[in-house]
Amino acid sequence: MAGDRFMAARKRNALLLLLAPISIILGIFFLIPLGIVVVYSFLEPGLYGGVEWTWYPYNYGRILGWPLNDYEEFDPIYLKIFATSLKYALMTVVFSLLICYPAAFWVSRRSERWKGFVLFLITLPFFASLLIRIYAWLLLLRPTGFVNTALEAAGIISQPLDLLFSGTAVVLGMVYIFTPFMFLPIYANVEKLDFSLVRASQDLGASPIQTFLRVILPLTAPGMVAGSIIVFIPALGNFIVPSLLGGAKVQMTGNLIERSFLQSRDWPFGSALALLIMASVVVVLMIQTVKAGRAKGGRPA
Amino acid sequence: MKTNTNTGETCMTLTSKAIRTLGSAAMLALMSQGAAAEGKLNLYNWGDYINPELIDAFSKEFGVEVTLDTYSTNEEMLARIQAGAAGYDLVWPSVHMHDIMQQLGLLQPANPNQMPGWENIDPAALRSQADPNGDYCMPYAWGAVGIFYNKKLIPELKSWDEFFAYANANPGKVTMLDDLRETLGVGLIMTGSSVNSRNPDEIAKAEAFIAEQVPNIGAFRYDVIPLVTSGDIAAGHYYVGAVLNVLQDPENLGYVIPAEGATMYQEDICMLASAPNVENAKLFMQFMMRPESAAKNAERLTNGTVNTAALDLLPENLRSNPSINPPAEVRAKLQIFEDLGKDLRLYTKAWDRIKTN
Repeated sequence: MAGDRFMAARKRNALLLLLAPISIILGIFFLIPLGIVVVYSFLEPGLYGGVEWTWYPYNYGRILGWPLNDYEEFDPIYLKIFATSLKYALMTVVFSLLICYPAAFWVSRRSERWKGFVLFLITLPFFASLLIRIYAWLLLLRPTGFVNTALEAAGIISQPLDLLFSGTAVVLGMVYIFTPFMFLPIYANVEKLDFSLVRASQDLGASPIQTFLRVILPLTAPGMVAGSIIVFIPALGNFIVPSLLGGAKVQMTGNLIERSFLQSRDWPFGSALALLIMASVVVVLMIQTVKAGRAKGGRPA
Repeated sequence: MKTNTNTGETCMTLTSKAIRTLGSAAMLALMSQGAAAEGKLNLYNWGDYINPELIDAFSKEFGVEVTLDTYSTNEEMLARIQAGAAGYDLVWPSVHMHDIMQQLGLLQPANPNQMPGWENIDPAALRSQADPNGDYCMPYAWGAVGIFYNKKLIPELKSWDEFFAYANANPGKVTMLDDLRETLGVGLIMTGSSVNSRNPDEIAKAEAFIAEQVPNIGAFRYDVIPLVTSGDIAAGHYYVGAVLNVLQDPENLGYVIPAEGATMYQEDICMLASAPNVENAKLFMQFMMRPESAAKNAERLTNGTVNTAALDLLPENLRSNPSINPPAEVRAKLQIFEDLGKDLRLYTKAWDRIKTN
């Protein structure tokens, strides 16, 4: 028994030692800046950027649309912008899921050499700067760009389509950026899928749809959930794509945060908005944790 | 963001990085020959906002080792200086930022008004309210913010009215700057108010004017030169630096200061209170007051010069260009931004609403 306790203590010490570096890094580079953001969001904006050290709780009210002075009216524009962000982030998740799910099955059925090659292709975009890749989309989508010229040459359209500077361009750009993040978790999951279970289901007389819904889908769901979360979080706070491909007419909360810090010199409001994004991310993660916990708890032993 | 090579905010960072790299390359080149260097001078300027030949010439003539760092907004520069970025001698704030920095005690008087060459500076260019006699800073260059357009799509453009009428007939083919003061400024000009209005009713009118145009405006962005040149966009609200492109292809491109009026910018060269190389900084100011220097700079930047003696040295196509050297009646219609302090929030909310609805 004493030996057991000794072993347990050793295990705990080893764990502490192994977790120490990451805890310190997170503490210094995540918690402290986060603390600054939280504190700033309750202060008054400084005249030329920065903050005045006066208690000022109105930044959050402003997000909800409350007027700051007597000439303003109640107008929840910031919630509208947040709703737009949610919409675009969800669309990005759905479209990249639709692309990656079938693709993962296709890739998982290839030979090892093919698989390696395809995975290499999927990580290839990371070798070029994000900005340059977004800029390439701008060149592709513009009225005299490749897409329009090709469609016109093929006689499909007679007038160039207004692809650039639209919501479509924003979703397209974000799906393009985040596809690899969706693909990799799904692929890891699909790759491990035991096809003998699928065959068993078929042998037992399940229709293809039943097999998919009751066997394949539940088994690959964790990968889909993980991918969706990894895509949703950065998509929600994105500001480069709406700024470049949306022509800054499509506006997401990220753009608002950027503008608060730079053009409007209102750091506290920017901080409050940043916390709003953060809070929504935490909510999503909590739902996922609770669900995962239930799934585990509900499984018969 | 004053010149044609600047791009969208994010790309601007790229540009300024590239320029910084170029700057340090230039510095290395200077160091290798600078055995006779008598000191240093550290400049902190907008990206691509000085003719690099001038830096070389100054450094050779005075044996001073010059470094150049760049920024892309006044706010970025202010934040760095306030955060204690040390080592810079001269900065190029816009006039309203010059006022702010002087009030914050970040500048020291360089007394350019007592330097030889001051007589070349146009007294009308002393626009700073905090520094009406030029005790602190030296006016550097100025320019209008008008419309850059493609003549294949719009043969001639003279006014904001025509610009918005074209947009109405061809939705999505024009752009405006993604800058709340500039674009609401156009709204204020069109509704007959000052671009520095602090009156909520006037700002509401300007907001309504711009909001009405929004469906026809293709994008709010800085980086429009390539899009206008290729004809993807017919016309873009842009800085006078675009004249450089117009001069290269006058058949197809045009630039105009709209008849209703426009905003203008001006930067001053200021010496920081923390400047380590005061004497060299003053030498540089004197150097920049020379008509030849100012002319060389205006040629490269294609914007207005505040150096009256330099006007005669400009090539004919610049001197006679109505956007670069506008006649008095056009100059009278140009308005420069003042800092609005807290009242900036009137504009912020209006701009947020314009972009949301």
